[in-house]
Amino acid sequence: QSRAVSGTVTDAATGQPLPGVSVLVPGTSVGTATGVDGTYTVNVPEGSNTLVFRFIGYQNVQRTIDNASTIDVSLPLDNQQLSEVVVTALGIERTRNELPYAASTIDGDAVSQTRQQNFTNQLSGKVSGVQIQQNNNLGGSTNIIIRGNKSISGNNQALFVVDGVPLDNSTNNTSDQATGRGGYDYGNAAADINPDDIESMTVLKGAAATALYGSRAANGVVMITTKKGSKKKGIGVTVNTGASWGFIDKSTYTRYQKNYGEGYEGATYNRNPSALPGFWDIDIDGDGDTEPVVPTTQDASAGAAFNPNLLVYHWDAFDPTSPNYMQARPWVAAENDPTTFFEDAYGTSHSIMIDGTGDKGYFKLGYGRNSNDGILPNSNVTKDYLNFAASYDVIKNVAASASINYAETNGLGRFGTGYSGLNPNQTFRQWWPVNVDIQDLKDAYFRTGENVTWNRISPTNAAPAYSDNPYWTRYQNYNNDNRRRLFGNARIDYNPTDWLSIMGRVSLDTYDEIREERIAVGSQGVSEYARQNGRFSEVNYDLMANLNRDLNEDFNFKATVGTNIRETNVSRVRLQTNGGLVIPGLYALTNSVSPIQTFGLGATEPATEVDTRLRVNGYFASVTLGYKQLAFLDLASRVDQSSSLPPENNTYFYPSVSGSFVFSELFEPTYGFTYGKIRANYAEVGNMAQPLSVYTTYNLITPFGGTSLASVNSVRNNPNLEPERTKSWELGLEMTFLDARAGFDVTYYNANSVDQILRAPVSRASGIDYTWINAGEVVNKGFEVSAFGTPVRTEDFSWTINANWTRNRNRVKDLGPIDNYQIASFQGGVTLNASEGEPFGAIKGPGFVYNNGQRVVGEDGLYLSNNDANTTIGDINPDWIGGVTNTLKYKGISLGFLIDVKQGGDLFSLDQSYGLYTGVPESTSFINDLGNPVRNPVTDDETSGGIILPGVNEDGTPNDIRAAVPLALGTDGNPAEAFIYDASYVKLREVTLGYSLPESIVSKLKVFQGIDVSLYGRNLWIIHKNTPYSDPEEGLAAGTLSLGYQSGAYPTTRNVGFNIRARF
Amino acid sequence: CTDDFEEDLIDPRSPVEVPATGLFSNAQRNLVDQMTTPSVNSGIFRLLAQQWASTDYPRESQYDIVTRNIPQNFWNELYTDVLMDLREARTIVTADETFPDPAEKANQIAMIEIMEVYTWSVLVNTFGDIPYNEALNPENVQPTYDDAAEIYADLFTRLDAALNSLNESAGSGDFAAADLIYGGDIESWIMFGNSLKLRMGMTLADVDETTARRVVAEAADNVFTSLADNADFQYTETTPNVNPIWTNLVQSGRNDFVPANTLVDVMNELDDPRRSEYFTLFSNGEYVGGTYGTGNPYSNFSHVNPAITAPDFEAVLLSYDEVEFYLAEAAARGFDVSGTAGEHYTNAIRASMEYWGVPEAEINAYLSQPEVAWTGGGNWRQQIGVQKWIALYNRGFEAWTEYRRLDYPQLEAPAVAEFDVVPVRYPYPAAERTLNTANVPAGDEATNRIFWDVQ
Repeated sequence: QSRAVSGTVTDAATGQPLPGVSVLVPGTSVGTATGVDGTYTVNVPEGSNTLVFRFIGYQNVQRTIDNASTIDVSLPLDNQQLSEVVVTALGIERTRNELPYAASTIDGDAVSQTRQQNFTNQLSGKVSGVQIQQNNNLGGSTNIIIRGNKSISGNNQALFVVDGVPLDNSTNNTSDQATGRGGYDYGNAAADINPDDIESMTVLKGAAATALYGSRAANGVVMITTKKGSKKKGIGVTVNTGASWGFIDKSTYTRYQKNYGEGYEGATYNRNPSALPGFWDIDIDGDGDTEPVVPTTQDASAGAAFNPNLLVYHWDAFDPTSPNYMQARPWVAAENDPTTFFEDAYGTSHSIMIDGTGDKGYFKLGYGRNSNDGILPNSNVTKDYLNFAASYDVIKNVAASASINYAETNGLGRFGTGYSGLNPNQTFRQWWPVNVDIQDLKDAYFRTGENVTWNRISPTNAAPAYSDNPYWTRYQNYNNDNRRRLFGNARIDYNPTDWLSIMGRVSLDTYDEIREERIAVGSQGVSEYARQNGRFSEVNYDLMANLNRDLNEDFNFKATVGTNIRETNVSRVRLQTNGGLVIPGLYALTNSVSPIQTFGLGATEPATEVDTRLRVNGYFASVTLGYKQLAFLDLASRVDQSSSLPPENNTYFYPSVSGSFVFSELFEPTYGFTYGKIRANYAEVGNMAQPLSVYTTYNLITPFGGTSLASVNSVRNNPNLEPERTKSWELGLEMTFLDARAGFDVTYYNANSVDQILRAPVSRASGIDYTWINAGEVVNKGFEVSAFGTPVRTEDFSWTINANWTRNRNRVKDLGPIDNYQIASFQGGVTLNASEGEPFGAIKGPGFVYNNGQRVVGEDGLYLSNNDANTTIGDINPDWIGGVTNTLKYKGISLGFLIDVKQGGDLFSLDQSYGLYTGVPESTSFINDLGNPVRNPVTDDETSGGIILPGVNEDGTPNDIRAAVPLALGTDGNPAEAFIYDASYVKLREVTLGYSLPESIVSKLKVFQGIDVSLYGRNLWIIHKNTPYSDPEEGLAAGTLSLGYQSGAYPTTRNVGFNIRARF
Repeated sequence: CTDDFEEDLIDPRSPVEVPATGLFSNAQRNLVDQMTTPSVNSGIFRLLAQQWASTDYPRESQYDIVTRNIPQNFWNELYTDVLMDLREARTIVTADETFPDPAEKANQIAMIEIMEVYTWSVLVNTFGDIPYNEALNPENVQPTYDDAAEIYADLFTRLDAALNSLNESAGSGDFAAADLIYGGDIESWIMFGNSLKLRMGMTLADVDETTARRVVAEAADNVFTSLADNADFQYTETTPNVNPIWTNLVQSGRNDFVPANTLVDVMNELDDPRRSEYFTLFSNGEYVGGTYGTGNPYSNFSHVNPAITAPDFEAVLLSYDEVEFYLAEAAARGFDVSGTAGEHYTNAIRASMEYWGVPEAEINAYLSQPEVAWTGGGNWRQQIGVQKWIALYNRGFEAWTEYRRLDYPQLEAPAVAEFDVVPVRYPYPAAERTLNTANVPAGDEATNRIFWDVQ
């Protein structure tokens, strides 16, 4: 016997009636829909006692009927953040509701909408707990750290996983590159993913979230889900096309002083007392008298004051092809300074994706091409992507699927980095005479095709003293590289029942790369051709069973058991010519003056011949118990056996336990409080050693004539290494309010990494440089907050704010037998360290001498140095980072902008250290307190130049001694501490203007299903920074070695572009 | 299947075992490189001895030793690439049971020991107290420092033991090919060992005359007797086995150094015929040195003679003329050596000139000058000091050491400099302060004297 129930359904937020809401009786075929006035009537069959109300965009509501004949319901808007499915470790899908740990997701559309050369940059400022540091290199690498640096010697970069398959993200840059000694940044390998193929990115931060991936995920995981074909049946085609332009941000580059020209401070060039000071005194025209010549070997701007009435012989007066040949020209600042060396960047991106969905499966086929010309002449990085994926239900309950991706990267003329002649900024920022005109150098190079440089040894010797013509550098001393990568997987899914699924998968990630580097004959130094060939391959075999059963009405049980077998092979050879090239212009290893050697020029970088194999067998299991939608308990564990550890220590087990409690289930949802969940977890993760750190071998060295040479290895390996461990716990709270229009998610975490496998540098008196030990403890703890709000939401207009804030505190608690671990050593007398009791990443070097907090000056008026290289003078760790995204939508138009903030964290600038010494930037030429040009000679009277540095004398009285400039400002007159800068920034990171053509127009166009247009800008404005003449974010490359240091920094590129997406 | 996991622990590209010969040769070569290189990153001894001056970048000639980590680079090379390889070579030879003749094995060990003693003496002469007894043990990564004088005493003991075990009637086995200095010739090693002993004995002369007297008397009869006995190291023309002077001055394309006025002026005054071998003539037909301690335009001065900057120019660890200077000084101090101070002094200058190819007549003319001729009496310190300094051109470390010991010539610090005196030692490497904090001695200044440098 059925009974009639009726009522009205309204919007919980507005109270307006909702038409078209489905009203269903579960377990039966009975149902109806609300009318235009929101009312309904349904006949409920006997034995049923519930009604379910469903409406797209709103949460489902279930009501018990009992004796009621009228049931009015107000539907809360669906909070997508909570019901959305999150892909977690090993590809296991879970609703956000039951997730017992922090995870953040970014929609893939955001990635293709505001294109970047390196899509990983897109994470910047958008996800709490994630610190992104991008470099201004073309195709350069991006540093991705989740919840702080944990490993002292090892890799701290997040793991990338694409559709469940780990993807190698190595940079494979040389250690010289990483520590600012020159070389190219070849980018991080995760950038091989086609940005247009990304459906979403999820960041798993803590160990509990990542434990099932095993030790390699100790630094957190960026999980990428690629597109899986459209949900509609039939064939769809999506085309993206776009272009972008980039311009340097001059606030991130040296502003040149225009008052003093080439020469070093106080240098005397002549023994002839009547010669003009600051110039060479040479008889150029052969008339028996001498003429003033610009001292072209002097790569500085601390020479004679400019004087337009003074005619002197410049570098080009000695170039027979120059219009100025044998002409004296006025002694003035150049019209075109080095900022005119930079060109406008230009990039294009195109992609097409065809997908189809049928009853039994789907396929997609995509191709994309991104091409970018950088801000340096003769630079381009082009990437081609080809993706194919398909799935088919072979028989009942069995689906077979596969995906294959091919990515090819071609680089030409990547930017030289660090302190190297191959990086034009080394000269432009550190060793530059401001009288030299960049356009004259350009003309000279293109006129002659030769290395005609401003820095000639003498009027009669055109060879470069130290610096080449920068156009020669870019067009002759260029690199090129190619990487071909194949990754993908094949899998079978078997679902024998609706509660059990079994998955078997084989996945492969492999690439070959070649890198060629050149120094042409005629360049400063020794000509060279260097070539690196590398191969990486990783195969993973996964077998996993998932069980998902409702034990009864209230309890749900999920379990996963599985195994992962992994084999990673790395092979790399790097060779360079020895002693120069025989035939100019022929770049071949056989074109070497002397036989190929095993040590590179300067013997800092040994030839590389690496062959390693790493195998890991992993076994894992997890269970989840859910009680209603109220409480969830997770238990997980994994055992790994690693071939990089000694046999007796190579198997290690680690557990995790997590729970969440959705306390809002205990209340009726109200407008003011819609959702609340607390979560807690504890996890341990073991980590293995790097390959080849167990048994010690000898080094072979290039023979001396016929005598073979060998050496004791400077690194002592350790046959007793044990796995290292990270123990972490986290607590989180998520709440939403105001009908889910606002909410937050706050997490506190604490991760303690102990027994670290440490390549500890030791006193060289022990006969070795490094020894591998198990020691050390690093603690990272912090808060992550993300919050959102929708201040305005009407039918046509909405305004959404998403904000996130992260504060990580990092401390090195213990280093075992050593007190200090030197992570990297840089030119300029500074080192990056992990020191007991200090944060990981302490910058050390000689500091000021202080007296009551005041800097002490010596008798010469210059700051004293404490000459102690062990002084902590900086800390790379920010106090906090955060980002705020505002999104405004009006009908089909959306406007978004992201402000990205980093507060605190220091860097050392070699550019400032040398640039101030050589008198290059504007800050070295100003009017002093007496009203005189500061570079006037220091005298006793009121005409004196020089500055009185703020500080005290050794006896504590205020400093009153004038010191000469630029001596008082640069490296010669200061300890390293003077060149430490606060690297805080506030950046307008991203502005996006999107427009989707209305359905009404699209439908008239027949063939199209949708057209979206976006205009975007990246890095448009650095709203605040404290680093003079540079981008505080700029560094050398990704990786632990490269943090907190600038040398030859590249300027920021402001990018604007558009993207059009059309779906057919 | 995980039985073969251990295979992955083996580096397929590096040897698990090597013969002692490769380690011995490598140590010799690295030692010579360090003693020879003019690199501003480790070997600024020619600047400290004021034989060379800088061109555009005078910081190192103004005694900025710290910024480039100069002491650290020198220390690291000698400990890890010389001493450690010698120590390993000795371990391998000692453990080797396959020698046909035990005397041959003893000879090899003695050769290794002499190279070690040489290297240790250089380290002590550079830094003073250093890790010694606990050094070279990777199991002990924070070795304590030992007293420099005690190290010297132990070095004499080890040197004597090595000299006693050298046996001319036996060969040196595979060290004949590995020995890049003497080709395994035991007779030469006996002379080299005794000449080293003479040098080390004389180094102590001001601080411990008793020991110096005894040691010098023991060694004097078996030292070098001609230039042919020199401990020379012949570089090749092929990189990387080239003289590091060439690498730094020619291959680099940089013109970082010119001869210093300090030396050039003295030699000009004495009309020294070695000038044409040491330097090039300046365009004005004179030898002109750059002002020491300031920047000097390269094109304004004489340059280092191209013969010295040839890639295969030989390097010298210990020379006959040096030995004769020691013997002259020993005689002047009244030590028990045959011959007079004047004879040895003259032999020394003559040997130096012959080494540089100066004709007999010019040598005689030089020696006959009253400013050069031996005067005897209390003036020996100055006479030997100045002449030895000239003779030790291009051997910056020895020139600096003998200047510190003899205090002649009276070098002065330049007007702009970190110190107002010439540094008399290298401060300890910065890394020792961070990695061996508990042991590195306090009061670590470049102006603190080594124990034998009493004034």
